[in-house]
Amino acid sequence: MAFDFDTMLRTIKDKQWSLADIDWDAPGADLITEEQRPQLKQFMSDLVWIENIGARGFAALARKAPNDTVKRIYEYFHAEEQKHANAELALMRRWGMLADGEQPAPNTQIRMAIKVLDTYGDDIPLSALATLIPMLECALDGALVKFLLDEVADPLCHEVFRHINSDESRHIAVDFQVLDLVGAGPARRLLIETASAMQPHMLLGLIVVFVPLLNKMRDNIAAMGLPEHKLYNAVKRFVSNGDRSENTKRIPVYHVFKAQARMVVDRGHGYHRYLADPMVKVTNRIPARLMGKQPSWSKELTHEPVAK
Amino acid sequence: MTDTVLIIGAGFAGLGTAIRLKQAGITDIVILERGSQVGGTWRDNTYPGAACDIPSLMYSFSFVPNPDWSRAYSGSAEILAYIDSMVERFDLRPHIHFGANVIGLHYDDESATWTAHTEDGRDFTGRTAVMAAGPLANPDWPDIPGIDGFTGKTIHSARWDHDYDVTDKRVGVIGTGASAVQIVPELVERASSVKVFQRTPGWVLPKPNPPHPHWLNAAFRRRPAVQSAARQALFWLHEVVALGVVWDSVATTAVQGIARAHLRLTVKDKWLRRQLTPDFRIGCKRILMTSDYYPALQQNNCKLITWPMYAISPNGIRTAEGVEHELDCIVFATGFDVSKTGTPFPITGSGGRVLGEEWATGAYAYKSVNVAGFPNLFFTFGPNSGPGHNSVLVYNEAQIDYIVSAIRLMRAEGVRAIDVRKDRQDEFNRDIQRRLESTTWNSGCQSWYLTEDGFNATMYPGFATQYVRQLSRVDLEDYTVALTTSDGGYRTAAST
Ligand SMILES: Cc1cc2nc3c(=O)[nH]c(=O)nc-3n(C[C@H](O)[C@H](O)[C@H](O)COP(=O)(O)OP(=O)(O)OC[C@H]3O[C@@H](n4cnc5c(N)ncnc54)[C@H](O)[C@@H]3O)c2cc1C
Ligand SMILES: [Fe+2]
Ligand SMILES: [Fe+2]
Repeated sequence: MAFDFDTMLRTIKDKQWSLADIDWDAPGADLITEEQRPQLKQFMSDLVWIENIGARGFAALARKAPNDTVKRIYEYFHAEEQKHANAELALMRRWGMLADGEQPAPNTQIRMAIKVLDTYGDDIPLSALATLIPMLECALDGALVKFLLDEVADPLCHEVFRHINSDESRHIAVDFQVLDLVGAGPARRLLIETASAMQPHMLLGLIVVFVPLLNKMRDNIAAMGLPEHKLYNAVKRFVSNGDRSENTKRIPVYHVFKAQARMVVDRGHGYHRYLADPMVKVTNRIPARLMGKQPSWSKELTHEPVAK
Repeated sequence: MTDTVLIIGAGFAGLGTAIRLKQAGITDIVILERGSQVGGTWRDNTYPGAACDIPSLMYSFSFVPNPDWSRAYSGSAEILAYIDSMVERFDLRPHIHFGANVIGLHYDDESATWTAHTEDGRDFTGRTAVMAAGPLANPDWPDIPGIDGFTGKTIHSARWDHDYDVTDKRVGVIGTGASAVQIVPELVERASSVKVFQRTPGWVLPKPNPPHPHWLNAAFRRRPAVQSAARQALFWLHEVVALGVVWDSVATTAVQGIARAHLRLTVKDKWLRRQLTPDFRIGCKRILMTSDYYPALQQNNCKLITWPMYAISPNGIRTAEGVEHELDCIVFATGFDVSKTGTPFPITGSGGRVLGEEWATGAYAYKSVNVAGFPNLFFTFGPNSGPGHNSVLVYNEAQIDYIVSAIRLMRAEGVRAIDVRKDRQDEFNRDIQRRLESTTWNSGCQSWYLTEDGFNATMYPGFATQYVRQLSRVDLEDYTVALTTSDGGYRTAAST
């Protein structure tokens, strides 16, 4: 049976929540240990930025949506990712990790992702974007939040992440439904789109962004004392979800990401030693000024529930 | 036996019809107006910045020239004064019944007359009835959860509250259509902060609005021919623009290029430009004419918000990025409830047929003026009479002249009822819908021109010249005609 996007949109509207619904001063903030604090701060900052990148990805997708309902859904997802980032900022503030007016600094890999998305985001063809986003969501956006719950005792954090997880379950559901829809399209279009997605600058952009980003996050997870196989399980989920649809399997770009996913989860694969890890190292050294001005969409984050 | 002409509405269309009828020697006219004042759109839309976006020389009746327009595009007060002046100039006041809110209009086959029922229980009967209740007369309030619980001030653009002072207030504006782009620059000047909540951006073309120099007004006054020449020139200029904004063509791409360049030149930030760039072809939705909107959005006290709005809380607007935007006042620039699939009040025709039911999937008419099964009923701004590129009053004048001719013919020929033939009407609409396919309005965006199902019951696919020409003559062949016989009875004329 065809997926009912209209019902999904209605559910999304019904499930909206606001930072103002949450009591940010509720007890429990002191459950964060001093020992946790530095790594947690690093992890949260990255998380905030990954949400923001996801947000921009959905903004690009909204432009390419196959119909008006899906477009509206993506507009909501765009906002929801921003909301996740805002809520995570509010948590950081609650935990005393941000001084007044302080924004967490994006790391180099994040800044590169922002740059690439800002430059090419709206030009990436639908089939590529529609594949990239679920990969990002499975591996990072949705997954990272869950890892944290094992580490952090603050009950408010759990409340916030319940909201976020509920949003994410809808993101993943729609992501794969759209992928299926795209895969069901004419083969000719898929090929043409793939050809344009495989243009050197586009491909390079995706590799340069995504490969080191994933490994960088793996390192951060390890630094928090979390087992890295959790991340790999999340990546596997991308493949198992994708393979469930015959249509999705028709999308050439899907196979590219799937191949990457296979390499990522194989710790012994040369991918890590020869490509991803060195890229983390190299990109770590890129001076921030080379990345140019931060686009204004990446400066809209706020931890304030109410804009006075 | 009544010969009265009932006119519902005292805006441009209703008053214009009355004027032309009187000029044709028909004085048995009753105008029903629900308000306490004439002017319609321009009585109701007095928000800061309200003005026309078609030059005043064209946005006025050619049969009521006004040499004194102060500028290219006049403000709402000046337009209202112009309409008011027509009432005195043509002595229309005795015909107008104010406070007559029509809630039903019914045809009686026996007497071949129309009766309008008003909310306060009055009945007015006439031989013919002219619908001039306005295409955009009923404000539309959006359906946002929590809207009734807002504790601050709410104002609809079409019902501005001049007693409320926005100075130093935090104002939210919902909507970014034709009214919003006029209001926002004014609010930014006065309010402490303005947040503009946008769902979809529209294409914006710059609108230079120079004052008319004194010598020009003097020339218009001395030589009306100069004014009508100016009007003609503007008319043809707008007709040329139709090539780009009516039909989806290379000219459309060119006009869109101008709008794009305007955006590029006036908005510095790349992301803001992206937020303001529509994803539909120019013309598909109403084009916004303003040079002040983009600059206003970039003022420090103004912010464009494109996050979906999901609720109104007691203190403000909640958007999906998780933030509550606290506001003192919400301005609803959300437009009008446009009857595309019904009628603003019940209209029953011959044999008790209900027009709203017949129009349930989209309104249609013959040449936008008559509907089969509803004898002696005439529409101004009926189905498929909207221009995308020209003054609606040009179209309105053509409708009015057609209506007046029909009523004169009826009187001259002793006709008690004319009813447009259904086959002519169907043929006409097949043609209209076919021609609409290649227009910008049907190029794939959802706008107030279309029904939920994408049926275009609103716009006329052509040049104003074509619209006017098809209405230039009443052909009784298009109608089933019932004549009054000498013994007071009647017979139906056989028309082929
Ligand atoms: C803000 C705004 C700007 C516009 N600018 C332009 C422009 O620049 N160029 C252009 O071509 N068009 C413009 N328009 C379109 C405009 O609506 C028409 O140009 C024109 O004013 C319509 O005139 P009307 O007489 O048909 O309707 P209206 O002016 O709306 O008059 C209808 C009258 O009927 C009365 N009425 C309604 N229902 C009932 C009832 N049930 N019983 C009794 N009386 C009733 C109303 O009170 C009103 O007085 C604009 C519209 C708006 C809202
Ligand atoms: Fe998220
Ligand atoms: Fe997500």
